[in-house]
Parts: sequence; structure tokens; C-alpha cells
Amino acid sequence: MAGPVPGVDPRQPDNRLMLKGLILSFLGFAIFLIAHVAIFRLMTLERRFRTMVRIMMVVGCALLIAHRITAPDLGFLPHEYTKAGWAIDLLNSLLVYGFLFIGYSMFYFLVDRGFSGRIIIEIESSPERRLQASGIAARYSLEMVLQRRLTEMLEIGRVILRDGRYCNTAKGRSAATMFAFVKRFLQLGEGG
Amino acid sequence: MQGLLAGLLTFTVYFATQAAAFHWIKVTRRAVALVGFWLLCLPTYFPLFRWIPEDAVIWPPPLAAPSDAVTFLNGILLYFFLFMGYAQFFYMAESSVGVRTMIELNAEYGNGLTLNDLTRYYRYDWMLARRLKRLAHAGYLVEDEGWYRTTPRGRIVAAIFSWCKRLLRLGPGG
Repeated sequence: MAGPVPGVDPRQPDNRLMLKGLILSFLGFAIFLIAHVAIFRLMTLERRFRTMVRIMMVVGCALLIAHRITAPDLGFLPHEYTKAGWAIDLLNSLLVYGFLFIGYSMFYFLVDRGFSGRIIIEIESSPERRLQASGIAARYSLEMVLQRRLTEMLEIGRVILRDGRYCNTAKGRSAATMFAFVKRFLQLGEGG
Repeated sequence: MQGLLAGLLTFTVYFATQAAAFHWIKVTRRAVALVGFWLLCLPTYFPLFRWIPEDAVIWPPPLAAPSDAVTFLNGILLYFFLFMGYAQFFYMAESSVGVRTMIELNAEYGNGLTLNDLTRYYRYDWMLARRLKRLAHAGYLVEDEGWYRTTPRGRIVAAIFSWCKRLLRLGPGG
């Protein structure tokens, strides 16, 4: 555990943290990114997002341990920025780390599954670097779009394939009901 | 806790305002509205931060942080992160083909649908036109007599996305 900081009364509650949690959360996220890229490059993965979540959890646990065993000032922080309680600092650290992961997931899905991103890439990689809507549809058909989504939903247990027909699982039905309500409430139209 | 609670309460105000507005008004420029409401609600953070008592008054020492600039900015960071998380959920509900597919499957409870059935439910030309219109509006594409080409901005995005796909070995995706 961390030792006492010179000039601070050790009888007082641990009130010497603050920036530490933030720094550790950003550091943890950087480690997550490195591990994520390395694993995705070195291994062929079936369930990519599940792997990402697992990496995030492992690094999150390491972050938690690191928070408890490192010095409150991490050896370089000025004393005036190390005055929060350990529990709030840890909670904040995990929150920031979690939200950085959520933000990155948003980017990841945009890159991996974004239909609009694919459209731009198809146009850019076409011989004349220009396409009509029919040309885009020829390169990436509706069947391909739907098949990819259905395969992913099969993998995560949202749908099942029964006699060649796709059906929602209980998990899929709950998600569909919830999203249908959100679409109706916020007047988002049928979407998709 | 003061910053975190103020950030959470400000997001609650944002969420309620945005949801009420979208419920009562047919919003067409949704991205602008989402960000606009976020900015509009940001000033409520300041009185909320002042209104919440200092941590030392109500929380035990491990949960108490001083009411300094770091705590203040931390609450704004939380407000930003909550917005980012909500935006992800919002666009999933609004645009996700997977979500739309599950809703179509729910309508056929018990019977299910084949891939061919599902393609009949979708108007692909509409789906594509909607995205092309958005991309052109956002300045990633220009349209010239039915032909679409990328703008410099679009080329940068295409290059970044292609690089990320190669780096992570994601395949063509979409």
C-alpha cells in the first residue's frame, strides 16, 4: 500500500488524492488500446466485440489494483492536487475509464459496421472515384447488409435461425420492444 | 461527489428536455438538435454545482473531494461522457439496420422471417438515399447529376477508416 506523504498528517483520513484517478484511467485506456490492437492484429477473432469487452475488464481490474497500491501523488503530482478521498477518486477513475471505452466503442462500430463509412470508402476506391446510387448498391447489396447484421445478431444471441427463418430470442424481443418504444416516443420514424 | 452529482443532474435536465422536444416536435435536423440541447443545458451545470453542498459537509472522508477546479471540470467531463453514451444509444435506435431487423422480426412473432422476406420489408433505395443525403449535407460527398464523389473531408475520413480497418483486420465491413 502507499506510504505516508511528507507534510501530511497520517492520522487524518486519506484525503490526498485527486488527479491520480484521472491519470490512471487515461493510462489504463491507453494500455487497453495497445492490447486491443495487438490482439486484433495477431489473432483471427470470431467475436470481436466480446474480446474487446474482456480486454477492457482485465485492464479495469489492473487499474483498480494499481489505484490501491500506488502512492497518492504517483510520485510526481503536486500536493495541492491530491486532496480527494480514495473512494471518490477510485469511483471517478473507473467511471472515466468506462466512458472512454464506451466512446471508443462508438468509433469502433462506426469503422467496423458503419454503412455510411462503407459508402465513402466504396466511392473513394472506385476507378473513377465517383459512383451513382445504383453503383453503390451493386457493390454492397441489401442482402449483404442484412446478412452481416443477422450473422452478428446470431452470434450475440439476439436471433435464432429455425428452419431457414430468423426469429427473435427473448433477449432480441426485449431489445426490439424497447427500441420500438424509443423510436415511437422520439418520433424517429422506422429508421434502419 | 459534488462534480459527479452536478454532471449527472445536468445530464438529467438535458435528457428530459431533449426527449420532451423530440416527443412534441418533429425534429428533422436531429444531430444539430442533439448537440444544440447539450450546449443549451450546459449552463445549468454552474448553478447545480453551487447548489450541491461541498463534499466535506455530507460525505464521509473517502468520498469527499475539495470543491476545486479539478472537481468542477470533472463534472463537466462526466456530462460530456454521458452525452456521448446517449448519442450512441440514440443513433442505434434511429439508424441501426440490426435494430430495425429485430423490430421487423418482432412483428412476425413466432413465425420468423427469411432473408428474402426481410429484403422485401426494406426500401434499399430509401436507405441508401437517406445516407447519401446526410453525407452530402455533412460535407463528405458532393452530388453532380446523380454521381457522388468525395470531398477533401470525405477523403480524409475514407483514409482514416480504411487505415483503421486494415490495422484491426476488420475486413470491408459496413
